Amino acid sequence: MDYVLTVLLPQLLHGLVFGAALGLLALGLTVIFGLLGVMNFAHGELYMLGAYAGIVVIGVTHSFWVALIAAPILVGIVAAVTEVATLRPIYRREPLYGLILTFGLALVFREGARQIWGGDMRRILPPFTGSTPLLGMTYPNYRLFLLAASSVILLALWLFFTRTRAGIVVRAAVQDAEMLDGLGVDVRRVFTLTFAASGALAALAGLLLAPVFTVYPQMGVEMILLAFIVVILGGMGSMGGSVVAAFVIGVAQSLFSLWMNPQRVAIAIFGIMIVVLIVRPRGLFGREGVLE
Amino acid sequence: MRKMTWLLVLASVAAAGAGMTAPALSQSKVVKIGDLGSKVGVFEGYGKYQTMFMQMAVEELNAKGGVLGHKVEMISEDDETKPAPAVRKAEKLILQDDVKLLVGAVSSGATMAVMDVTKKHKTIHWNAVSCAEFMRTTKFHKYYFSNQPDSRMQANGLAKYIVDKMGKKVYIFYTDYAMGQSDGRQFKTALEKIGGEVVGVAGAPLDTKDFSPWFGAINQAQPDVLFLAFAGTDSLRLMTQLHSFGMTKKYKLAGIDCFLLQQDLPAIAEPMEGFVQLAHYSAYNADKQMAAFNERFKKKFGVDGNIMAGAYDGVLFWAAAVEKAKSFDADKVEAALEGMCLDNTHVGRQCIRKEDHQVIMDMHLYQVKGGKNLPIARLEGKDTIGEPMVGKDPVEGFTWEIKKK
Amino acid sequence: MKSVGWRALLVFAVLALVPLVPGMSRYYLLLAFDALLFGAIAMSLDLLMGYTGLVSFGHAAFYGLGAYATAIVMERGVLSIWVCVAFALLVVGLYALVVSYFATARRGIYFALLTLIFAEVVYTVFRYTQAFGGSDGIQGLPDATLLPGVAIDTPLRKYYLVLAYLAVAYVVCRVIVTSHFGRVLVAIRENEDRARFLGYNVQRYKMGACMVSALLTGLGGAIYPMRSAFATPDLMLWTESGEFIISVMIGGLGTLVGPVIGGAFFTILRDKVSSVVDWYFIVIGGVLIVIVLFMPRGLLGLRRLFARRTGGAAA
Repeated sequence: MDYVLTVLLPQLLHGLVFGAALGLLALGLTVIFGLLGVMNFAHGELYMLGAYAGIVVIGVTHSFWVALIAAPILVGIVAAVTEVATLRPIYRREPLYGLILTFGLALVFREGARQIWGGDMRRILPPFTGSTPLLGMTYPNYRLFLLAASSVILLALWLFFTRTRAGIVVRAAVQDAEMLDGLGVDVRRVFTLTFAASGALAALAGLLLAPVFTVYPQMGVEMILLAFIVVILGGMGSMGGSVVAAFVIGVAQSLFSLWMNPQRVAIAIFGIMIVVLIVRPRGLFGREGVLE
Repeated sequence: MRKMTWLLVLASVAAAGAGMTAPALSQSKVVKIGDLGSKVGVFEGYGKYQTMFMQMAVEELNAKGGVLGHKVEMISEDDETKPAPAVRKAEKLILQDDVKLLVGAVSSGATMAVMDVTKKHKTIHWNAVSCAEFMRTTKFHKYYFSNQPDSRMQANGLAKYIVDKMGKKVYIFYTDYAMGQSDGRQFKTALEKIGGEVVGVAGAPLDTKDFSPWFGAINQAQPDVLFLAFAGTDSLRLMTQLHSFGMTKKYKLAGIDCFLLQQDLPAIAEPMEGFVQLAHYSAYNADKQMAAFNERFKKKFGVDGNIMAGAYDGVLFWAAAVEKAKSFDADKVEAALEGMCLDNTHVGRQCIRKEDHQVIMDMHLYQVKGGKNLPIARLEGKDTIGEPMVGKDPVEGFTWEIKKK
Repeated sequence: MKSVGWRALLVFAVLALVPLVPGMSRYYLLLAFDALLFGAIAMSLDLLMGYTGLVSFGHAAFYGLGAYATAIVMERGVLSIWVCVAFALLVVGLYALVVSYFATARRGIYFALLTLIFAEVVYTVFRYTQAFGGSDGIQGLPDATLLPGVAIDTPLRKYYLVLAYLAVAYVVCRVIVTSHFGRVLVAIRENEDRARFLGYNVQRYKMGACMVSALLTGLGGAIYPMRSAFATPDLMLWTESGEFIISVMIGGLGTLVGPVIGGAFFTILRDKVSSVVDWYFIVIGGVLIVIVLFMPRGLLGLRRLFARRTGGAAA
C-alpha cells in the first residue's frame, strides 16, 4: 500500500500533467493534418517559439500571465504568415512535399531561434512557487496548475468544437475537407486561421511547460516525435482521439519508467506505435481510409 | 536546366578550390594552437570559458614575444559535444591548420575519441575538464596531459568528508554517459571503502528534460546525502526540479567539481545551498594567487572565472616546454613536459607527474553558501592524486550492486 | 555494360585522378571521402524517393546499422573488409526486410512515418545499450584490411575504397533503373492504382526498391568506420535522414547523378561553412523550402523528368 501511495500514484500524476500539455500540442497537429492534409514537421518549433515568445513578453511586462495570452497570439501570427507564404502553394501537391517543406521550416525556425536567443538554456520562473504535501511527497504547485490549466483549455476547446457553429464547421471539415467548399466558406481563410490557431496552441503548450523543462532551441525536436505518436495512436483527424491518446502516452511513459530503465521507455512507446500502425493504422478513433 | 547542372558543379569545384588555396602565405613565424570544445549546447558554458582562458594565456605569451619567437595564434572549433564532430574538427585542426597543441574537449566521450586522433598524428593534447577515469588509464598515450582532477581524484578527496561530516547513507545520481558513469563508479568505490553505505544508484541520460521519474526511487531509498554527478544545463534543470519537490531541503547535497559553473550559481543559489564539492577553482577563494588571477580575468572579460582555468595553465605549460625543448616537435615537447613544475598558474604550484601526465596540485573542498562556493578545507595534491594506473583497468572488479545492510 | 555509358566512365576516371591534384592534402582526401559517401547514399535514396515515390525518413537507420555492424566485427579483432561488409549487409538486410514489409503495406505518408519510427527505435536501442557503447558508441577502431597484410590505412586508400563503393552503387542503380523492374517502379510512382490494376504486385516492387536502397545505404554505412574509426548513435538520428533527403532534393529527384552531386555539395558546404558561420542551417532550411516551392524536382530533375516523359515510359 505504501508503494502505491509514495511511488505509483505520484508517477501517475506526473503522467497526467505531462499528458495534458502533450494533448494541447497534439491537438493542433491533428487538426492541421485533418484539415490541410499536411503533417507539420515544424509543429515542435512552434511549441519552442511559444516558450521564447514567453521569455520576450515576460522580459517586457514581467508578467507570466500576460505572456500566457500574448505569446500564443504572437506565434499564431508567425504561423499565419508562414502558412500563406509557404504552405498555400503546395496544398494541391502530394503530401510528401508538405513533409519536406515543413522539415525545412523547422530547420529555419530552430536555427533562427538559436541565433536570436543563443544556444544556452533559459529559465522561465514559474509564476508561483511552493508545493503541496500530496501522496507522500511534496508536489510542486506549478505542476498542479499545469494540469488544471491544460484541462480547462482542453475543455474550452471541446465546447468550442461541439457547441459553436464555427467549431462544428471546422470539426466537420477536419473529417472531410472538401465539404468546406460546398458550404460556401472561404476555404483559404479557414485554413490560415486554423493553422494559426494550431500554432497558438502549440505555443501555449510550450510556454506552460517551460518552467518545468526550461527553454532551449532543441526543445521542439524532442516533443515532435511524441506528438506524432499521439496523433497516430489517437487517429489522424480525430481530435478527441488525440487528447485521449496524449493522456494514455503520458501515463504510459510515466508508469513504464517505474518498471524499466527510464531511458528504455521510449523503446516501449515506439513499440506500441509500431504495433498500432501495423494492426490498426487508423488508431483508436480515426476514420477509415486515411492511411489504408 | 543543363546550365544549372554545370553551374552547380562549377560552384562546388570553386568552393572546394577556394577552400584549398585559402591557407595563404601568412606573415612569418606563427604557431597555431587548437581550442576544441562544446561551444554550443549543454556544455556551452565550459567550452566558451575554455576559449576565454586560452585567449588570456595566448595574449600574455604574445606580449612577451611569443613562443620560440613565433606569434601564437589560436583556432577555435565546436565539437557539438559529440565524438563524431569532435574527431572531424580535431582532424581539421591537426591536418589542415597544423596546430602544435590541441586543448580539448569538454565532454569525456569527445575527449576520448579525440585522443585516438592526437595519438595517431602525434599532437600534444591537453585536457582541462573531462573527468572520466579512462583517460589516464586504459586510453592513455604519451602526448596526453591533463590538469583536471578526474573522478578518482575527486572521490579520494571528497568521500571522506561526506562520510564523516554529512551522512553515511548516500544515493548516487549520475548522468549516464562516460563522465557520469565514471563518477558514479569511483565515488561508490571510495564511499564503500571508508565505511559509507550507498543506498541506491541511478543514471539519467544526457539532456534529460524531466528528472521527476527518478525522484520516487530516491525518496524510497531514504538517503542522508544525495550525491549528484551532472554537468551543464542538466544540473540547472535537475536542481530546479529537486527544489520544487522539496528534496534539496530534505537531503544533504554533494557532487562533482564541474556540476555547476560559477556563472550559473546565482540563478539557483537557493537550491544549491549547502552543496559540497571538490574543485581547484572558485572565484570566491581568498587564496591570494587565485584571487589575483580571478581579478585579472574579470578585468579582461567582465565576468568571474571558473574551473576552465586549467586551460590557461595548459597553454602556459606547453609554451614553457617548447622553450625548454627548443622545438615544436611533439616527442621533444612531451619529454620536456614530464616532471615540469610551474608556479605562475592560477592556483600556485602545479607539477606534471611523469607516469600518467597528470598534474599534481592542491585543491579545496567548497561549499555553496549564499550563492557563492566558499572553501571549507584545503587538500594537498599528493593526497588526492592516487596511484598511477596507466594501462590498468580502473573499473576492474567493480559492481553497481547495492549491498543491503 | 551499355547501361553505364561512357559519360559515367569519364566521370569515374576524373574522380580517380583527384588525389593527384596539387595541393590535395590528407585532410581534403578525407573530405572527398565524406562527400562521395554521402553522395552515394543520397543516390540510393533517390532510387526510393525519386523513382518509386516513397520518402523514407528512416534511412539513417540503415546507414548506422551498417556502421555498427562493421564496428562490432572490428572491435573483436576481425579486420577483413569482406567480413565486415558481409555482416553489415546481413544485418541491414534483415532489418530492411522487416521495415519494408510493414512500411509498404499501406499507402501515403504511412511509409514515411513508419520508417521514421522504426529508425527511432534503432537509435534508442543503440544509444541506451552499454554493450554498444551507449551514447559514445564504439570508438578507437583500427584500420580494415583488404587482404591479409594489405591494410586500408592511408587517406589515399580510403578514398579509393569509397570510389569503389560509389561505382558499385552507381552500377546497381543504373541497372535497376534501366530495367523492366525500374520502369514498373516509375509506373507505381505515377499511379499506384493503375499499376495494381495492370497486375503488378505493387507491394513486392516497393519492397524490392526499399531493400536495394537500404542495402546500398547500409554498405555505405559499413565502410564509414573504416575512415572514422568509430560508430556512434548519432549516425542514426532522424535529422541525419533529413540530411539525406535534403541532398536528394538539392540534386534532383529521379536522376541518380543529381543526388550524388547534391550530397557531395552538401557535405563540402557544411564543412566549409560551419567553420566560418554557424547559422548555415538556416540557409539549408531556406534552400529546401525554395526548392519545394519553386523547383520540386530539384536542380537537375526537371529536365530529366521531361526527357523521361517524352521517352515513352509508363503508358
